[in-house]
Parts: sequence; C-alpha cells; structure tokens
Amino acid sequence: MTMSQNHNIGNAAEDLIKEQFELEPSLEQVVWIDSDKTAEIRLLEINPETPPLESVLSFYFPPYEELPYATHIAEIRPEVWKKILRHEIPLPEGWTLDNYKVYSREMVTV
Amino acid sequence: MTERQHWQMAFLRQARSDWEAYQRTSPAVWPACHRLLFLQMASEKLGKAVLIASHSTLETITQSHAAFVMFMRVAGNNQKLQKALGMKKVHQRAQFKALLPLAHEIELLAPALAQGGRNPEYPWKDASGNILAPADYPFPLMQRLHQTPHGIQLLNYIEFFVKKFEELFV
Repeated sequence: MTMSQNHNIGNAAEDLIKEQFELEPSLEQVVWIDSDKTAEIRLLEINPETPPLESVLSFYFPPYEELPYATHIAEIRPEVWKKILRHEIPLPEGWTLDNYKVYSREMVTV
Repeated sequence: MTERQHWQMAFLRQARSDWEAYQRTSPAVWPACHRLLFLQMASEKLGKAVLIASHSTLETITQSHAAFVMFMRVAGNNQKLQKALGMKKVHQRAQFKALLPLAHEIELLAPALAQGGRNPEYPWKDASGNILAPADYPFPLMQRLHQTPHGIQLLNYIEFFVKKFEELFV
C-alpha cells in the first residue's frame, strides 16, 4: 500500500468516525484498528447501550462512492473493551492491537 | 465461492426456510409459540448470515444468540440498504433504533436466553409456581408484532432483508 492510500484511508476513517459520533449520542469512544496489511476500515464502537456480550461481533459494509473502503464495525460495551485490552476477549480474525487509535467525541467534534 | 461464503448462503437458506414456515403457520390454526419460534430462528439466522461476511470467527457467530439485535443496531451503516429504502443514514438509524425493543423481545425468545423462563419451545414455571407449556400461553408479543406500527414495520423489514439479502448484504 502506498503512503497516499494510507493517508486517504486515514481521512476516510476519521470522517466516518466523526459521522458515527454525530449519529449516535450514546457512543463513548471509537477505536480505529489500523492495519497496513489491508485497505479496510475496522472500527470498534464503544457504546454502553450495546447488549452485553462476551464476544466481538463485527459486521461488513461494502464500499460505496463516498466511502470507497470496505468497512467492518463491531459495537461493544466499555467493559468488553477493557477485557480486549487485557486479552481476555479476542478480536475478530486478523484484527490486532499492534496499531490502533482511540477517538473520543471531543476529539472529532471540536 | 469460499467456505465462508458457503456458510453464509447456508445460513441464508435456513433463514428463508424459517421465515417461510412463520408465514405458512396460520395464526388461526397454530399456537403462537410455534410461529414465534420460527420467527426467532429466522431473525437469528438472518443476523448470522450478515455477520459471516465480516471477520468474527464462525465459532463466535454460531454460539451467539444476539446476532439480530446487533445487526439492527449497525445496519444503518449499509449504504445499499439506505438506497433501497430511500432513506438518509440519520433517518434509517433512528427508525431501526425505534424497533430495537421489539427486536430484542424476539431475540429473547431463544430458549438459551430464557434462563428457564417463558419461551416458545420448553415448559417453564411462572412466578406463582404454575408449570406452563408454550402451547398454552398466548404470547402477547405476537399481537404487538401484528397490530402495532412498529411490529408491522419490523416484520416488513425482516421479510425485505430475507428476500433481498444478496442485493443488500453480499
């Protein structure tokens, strides 16, 4: 992947994250799982209104004109994120915490 | 076709079959428990068929009974669905959110989530100590599904998702 593609996917991910915060008032944080091995956007959306699950269920959304990257989104509760960080709950296949960034509402809505 | 895609189509075929069984079991003839069991199974397999396109392991997906509500919570991100429904993302998300309580009630019909309580498959003991069979119980949820705007809308969406799956989710 070229630097330009990385730059674009980063912008696209941040635009999507901003939109998610705008659309979902109860969303607390969004974790962008960045991987230089794939041109997909992978997000963990941390929302206390999510049903309590001890697993991470990610959904696929195909690319489209305004967002030309395949997107995978998993909604999780805050306590599940803590367990993921402690490696007590696994991420979906191929996702790692090697390179991730946590976004709060304040970071994207200023 | 990859093995995962074969799994996805198998879940979809079963969701379609469960949905057809729900529609064919006439409310005048069949107790609510049988119809609700088919509905719960159709919605769960529909959610799982969507989930399989992403990266969660097959084991995680098959063991979960929360696929349908999780799907309804994030479906607003599906642009094909927005176009098909002629809605903006914000409206679609709001509409689906309004349907979540009913979707959750359907999900909780799964015997594994009933924790020994009311469910459409196995007998249970109520708070007064009476032992009930699902076939004897009227399940008020059925009326809410067929006689309230949200219930009717949710059933219409399930039918739409099941019928248009390949266009919307593949």
